[in-house]
Amino acid sequence: MDKILNYIINLIADVGAAICFFFDVLGNIFCGKIRVGAVLKQVYEQGINSVVIIALTSLASGAVLALQGYVAMSRFGAKEYVAHLVALSLVRELGPVFTALIFSGKAGARIAAELGSMNVNNQMLATRTLGIDPIEFLIVPRMLACFIVVPLLAVMAEVIGIAGGYMIGILEAHVEGTFYINQTIKAVTYVDFFSGFIKVIFFGIIIGWICCYQGYNTTGGSLGVGKFTTRAVAYSYIAIILSNAVLTKVILTFWG
Amino acid sequence: MIKISGVSKSFNGQLVLDDISLEVKENEILVILGESGTGKSVLLKNMIGLLKPDEGSIFIDSEDITKLSEKALLKIRKGIGYLFQEGALYDFMNVFENVAFPLKEHTSLKQQEIINKVQAVLKEIDLAGIERKYPSELSGGMKKRVALARAIILGSKILFCDEPTSGLDPIRSRDISDLIKDVSKRMGCSTVVTSHDIKNAFRIADRVALIHKGKIIAVGTPSDLKSSDDKFVREFILC
Repeated sequence: MDKILNYIINLIADVGAAICFFFDVLGNIFCGKIRVGAVLKQVYEQGINSVVIIALTSLASGAVLALQGYVAMSRFGAKEYVAHLVALSLVRELGPVFTALIFSGKAGARIAAELGSMNVNNQMLATRTLGIDPIEFLIVPRMLACFIVVPLLAVMAEVIGIAGGYMIGILEAHVEGTFYINQTIKAVTYVDFFSGFIKVIFFGIIIGWICCYQGYNTTGGSLGVGKFTTRAVAYSYIAIILSNAVLTKVILTFWG
Repeated sequence: MIKISGVSKSFNGQLVLDDISLEVKENEILVILGESGTGKSVLLKNMIGLLKPDEGSIFIDSEDITKLSEKALLKIRKGIGYLFQEGALYDFMNVFENVAFPLKEHTSLKQQEIINKVQAVLKEIDLAGIERKYPSELSGGMKKRVALARAIILGSKILFCDEPTSGLDPIRSRDISDLIKDVSKRMGCSTVVTSHDIKNAFRIADRVALIHKGKIIAVGTPSDLKSSDDKFVREFILC
């Protein structure tokens, strides 16, 4: 019983500390303590380096979606609607979720491991002894980069995924190219786009927050770096998947 | 310059520092000697505000740093150089960027002035020409010297060195100890060095404090300690 009570107390304390950490970061951002050069460097390191893996995954996802959609819809004589299926699935759901999951596995893990190893090697403490706030110097640029990069990567993933679907639509389903493009444009409304975009902004914040927090609190040497990095990715995945379910319900309720 | 009075600190119920009182005078090198795990580094971390003592006060230039917020402490720390045991250099910055970092953050010097100052400090510590190297390309001794350069580049009047000779061979240990002494005397710093290296401690110290089981058991000049009758002091020194 005591163990359970201790676990609950620790959990509440940890969640409280994570919330304080988040507000500390936001406070720095709103006070304009933003190192533009460092943010751009992080945007490059997290964003540009994730482009290839996200592009490949989205291209393949769009293609597979079109293939499966074509097979299923052909049974009802509705293969022309493959473009609708691909575009709506990618824009509303798969683009944001896939991008967030891949990003947290790649860039999120990198952030947590980088900060974690800086922590165990006393570089974080050294920052404080030099009279500089490590939140401002190390955390704000990484979190801001996540906020910026994840939505941009998701839009890119959606466009590439649609291109993958387009290829299959033409080559396998033998749908005419201009017809496919027109159907896609008709299918995706502003509401569809923004319902996915809102999710991806939220995912960017979640990934940046969780991965930076875990890295910032890493202890226990190299073993600790492994443990906290794994935890960062696992927590990000769980948060993305659960929040996606909640956000989908909320968006459908208010926006349709 | 620095006054510690009645400082105690414990972790998970284990008392690490027990009612420590100590004073560091201006332009003085005080070496805190003691066995491994007796709380030397903990004391140093309390002195720069990285840890807060459970009891007691620590005055730096008549300001009690135990009462200050982290934001206020960041300002105080600009005037203190701190050398970590392993150097704690930023591994994503090269030597030049590491040493120039405090200047870029806390001064309005132009780029050329920063370059000149960094080169001068690196020359002073006999490391000219390694500006473009990254910490991973340096030996343990070089890392410590670069870290010392970073710690002194702002011309701080207080210098804290945490185990500067640990992990180094006897010659490198002597060199880094001499370097700390030279730099401290030239800059007129109040310097606190933690160490368990008796030979080098006596070589550079104006005064030595011996810490045992979280308590200061002897303070004095190296010759005072050498002539002490205390059983543990004699055992530790003659070991």
